[in-house]
Amino acid sequence: MPESTLPSTKDFPSAARYPMKKSSAADVTALLGAFCFFLSALEYMVPKPLPFMRLGIANLPILLATDLLPLPWFLALALVKVVGMSVISGSLFSYIAVFSLAGTLTAALTMRGGRKLFGRHVSAVGISILGAMVSNAVQIAIASVLVFGEAARLIAPPFLIMGLVTGTLLGLFAEAFAGKSRWYERAKALLGGTEEGRA
Amino acid sequence: MASRIRIKPLDIVIVLVSAGILAVSAIWAYGPKAGDAKVVIKSQSGEWIYPLTTDREIKVPGPLGDTLVGIHGKTVRIEDSPCPNKTCVAAGAINEAGQWIACLPNQVLVRVEGGAENAGIDASVY
Repeated sequence: MPESTLPSTKDFPSAARYPMKKSSAADVTALLGAFCFFLSALEYMVPKPLPFMRLGIANLPILLATDLLPLPWFLALALVKVVGMSVISGSLFSYIAVFSLAGTLTAALTMRGGRKLFGRHVSAVGISILGAMVSNAVQIAIASVLVFGEAARLIAPPFLIMGLVTGTLLGLFAEAFAGKSRWYERAKALLGGTEEGRA
Repeated sequence: MASRIRIKPLDIVIVLVSAGILAVSAIWAYGPKAGDAKVVIKSQSGEWIYPLTTDREIKVPGPLGDTLVGIHGKTVRIEDSPCPNKTCVAAGAINEAGQWIACLPNQVLVRVEGGAENAGIDASVY
């Protein structure tokens, strides 16, 4: 194709309405959302004693996005993850989706809040553990209200151990990834990173 | 390009606080309970208590249908369930205080309470 026939932004008037930073945030959200779907599928293959007891690997893109995306896109990513996980596990239109929604949103908001509160004094490991522990505690509380009553205390220890272990491992991975990945470095430079995520 | 994982002091504090919360929740959940070992079954329609020492089969109604709970040889297990994944059936038998099997889709929780805790030591010599 001759160069002169290549489309330019003039051919797409709507493109002019979106500043570069906004469309980049959308691109990064879409890519991380796709990773959420993929990791949800992997997570679904791992046997678990309770349907809502998860390793949390699908939270990895959200953990990486904590220092990357503006808040509206960050929340959009969290919702994409909830829908993806619920579609893959077949629980979208059941009350089990409530666990997923509450768990993911509290994890996302806690990680974001933790970063805002502690800034660079905490690494992805601490942020990840905070998110996992608070998310699991909220899900235990919901299990207590909706299903098991006071007996939900029995599921608390294994659930919290799971949060501590997987939160630590995901945090270590995210920290190593953020330190090595050129894509992450470029995305952060392009988006400017969140205010608290800047070194 | 930095590739080293840098753990901050606040990370250690978060791990320690989390471990503390975990220890408290374990004591709260599995602290000693007096009395003979019993099976407590909770579902949407109520709570039932059976001795672990008497063999029986119980149909527990839930939103998806009946969950079949069997008590045999001082152990209890979910033998059949209308839930899609059957993770509760795959969980196998339990027999010690504090152990539990849950079926979230059919909203059934089976747990063992009371009786002597198994300390994991059969005998000791001096």
